Amino acid sequence: MAAPQATHDWADEVEDQEESPATVADLPPTQKIQNKDGSTTIIEYRYNDLNQKVKTTRRIRFITHREVVNPRVAERKRWAKFGLSAKDGPGPAADTTSVGENIIFKPSVNWRKDAKDESKDPNAQAMKDKLKDKKVKCRICNGEHFTARCPYKDTMAPIGETGGADVAAGLADEGPGAASVGAAGAGKKGSYVPPAMRGAGAGKAGESMGGKYGERDDLATLRVTNVSEMAEEGELRDMFERFGRVTRVFLAKDRDTGMAKGFAFISFADREDAQKACDKMDGWGFKHLILRVEFAKKAA
Amino acid sequence: MRPILLAGHERALAQIKYNVDGDLIFSVSKDQQICAWFAHNGERLGTYHGHQGAIWTVDVDPTSTIIASGSADNTIRLWDIKSGKCLKTWEFPTAVKRVEFNEDGTKLLGVTEKRMGHLGTIVVLDVVVDVNAEQNDEKVLTIVCDESKATVAGWSYLSKYIIAGHEDGSVSQYDAKTGDLNFNIAIHELDCAITDLQWAPDRTYFITASKDKTAKLITADDLRVLKTYVSDTPLNSATITPKKDFVVLGGGQAAMDVTRTSARQGKFEARFYHKIFEDEIGRVRGHFGPLNYVAADPTGKGYASGSEDGYVRVHQFDKGYYDFVYEVERERQRELAV
Repeated sequence: MAAPQATHDWADEVEDQEESPATVADLPPTQKIQNKDGSTTIIEYRYNDLNQKVKTTRRIRFITHREVVNPRVAERKRWAKFGLSAKDGPGPAADTTSVGENIIFKPSVNWRKDAKDESKDPNAQAMKDKLKDKKVKCRICNGEHFTARCPYKDTMAPIGETGGADVAAGLADEGPGAASVGAAGAGKKGSYVPPAMRGAGAGKAGESMGGKYGERDDLATLRVTNVSEMAEEGELRDMFERFGRVTRVFLAKDRDTGMAKGFAFISFADREDAQKACDKMDGWGFKHLILRVEFAKKAA
Repeated sequence: MRPILLAGHERALAQIKYNVDGDLIFSVSKDQQICAWFAHNGERLGTYHGHQGAIWTVDVDPTSTIIASGSADNTIRLWDIKSGKCLKTWEFPTAVKRVEFNEDGTKLLGVTEKRMGHLGTIVVLDVVVDVNAEQNDEKVLTIVCDESKATVAGWSYLSKYIIAGHEDGSVSQYDAKTGDLNFNIAIHELDCAITDLQWAPDRTYFITASKDKTAKLITADDLRVLKTYVSDTPLNSATITPKKDFVVLGGGQAAMDVTRTSARQGKFEARFYHKIFEDEIGRVRGHFGPLNYVAADPTGKGYASGSEDGYVRVHQFDKGYYDFVYEVERERQRELAV
């Protein structure tokens, strides 16, 4: 490169350098390496928009695929490129064409069911087995999943706060593995206990604060799971009213879609009615799904 | 299958067209350029420059010599496919939303927008399929849609009728020679615009897509609804796949609503339905915006979809696609073999 002139500003000099053809020559030449397995490694160097040197390593296997095409089509393949592609070399240009990730598309009449069966593939199963002893525990419901994945994350407060307690207790007996986790979570050492709940025990404090009504409400509340997405609160009320006076029906709904999330709480005025409803409705078919009904909080 | 992603556009795709041999793909978008691509590897052949506004539509003549495009700059332009040169410009009072060549490429129809006091029209132009020929300035025919503007239109078999889909969900049949309205039938739900109209290979029937979340297969002769495909999202496009009896529907919630709802509600998937049995048989995901256009490869080997996200995805079908048959079809084949 020519020596910089005396009048030259240092800033100009830098720019000069970048634009001069010498920088292109600075780039190491493109390397092509034949690998043993028949593939080719191509290492290219170029400058990006910010004038940073970029090294691109591509490993390519050429597979010759012969196809007989119409002569018209063959002729078109030899056409010169034009417009914005005029400077592109032969073959697809990296900036306009790329290959997407593999998509499995197999038409099937019951494709909806097939999509769910993905969980059955051996890889996922192996991973599950491996993670079985790891005990991932959700802070909201104590279930064996990450808190972020918890189905109740929008509606329930984390365990320890009274709102989430009944759900947690209810969920704990769903799986044999989960039971121990749930129990451990409830009495876990070192977890934060609000001052009001310390010492004498949560139960007593709650009693004195909430009064009789709250207690009864808890005792006569049923947790209904596996509820159809299409369910309405009115329908649930109608179903459960047969067993006695229903004081409250809560159906968890998605904020965006307004569809049911799949679980509901039904409070009865009378615990006996609740017990009857629980016995009758557990296993009841509703909108193609079999309801699971249990007490929201186990009678202590 | 591994789709090929074509990132030649900076804005939402408007239309994609395969040529007759299925080796070239033309895509247009709101970013004022037309791109031509090789279908087999996604290589870009070139770009066509000249339009001053969003390009809404493109079509290829049957000999793959010229393409026509319609744009929001109120013009229809003819281009030489090979060189990228603009051959002819027709000016109109309003934007051009759809162009289509007839079966032999001698006529071109254009659908113009209803705007600024002008009514929506369907115009027919004479075209000479020759790069060096002088093109005729005059419109052969102008059909004025005074009731509800036409959103899409196409030529039936033998260029006998012009079929138009309207903003109010109805479909009209016009005589292609005189421009007279033969009849107009309400096909889709009232005031759910027809967003796309694509022909079967022999042009005796076509498929329409509508904002009312359905696509319908309709005969050209008497506008009888043969089949209805019901989906759960507003549709922007529908196409009929050759070789296999499937239809592909593309849609998703309107682009303006995307940011207002959560992503999992997007439904930005191409939906495959069986043409005869009307069952949904699968979906292909990949786009992250609503699908604005789906086009089937005329050779039946694949399809391409263009989306609001600016990408064209070109798919080549796997073996599983060709193998799929209904149990009744298999039984029938067995009976015939015996």
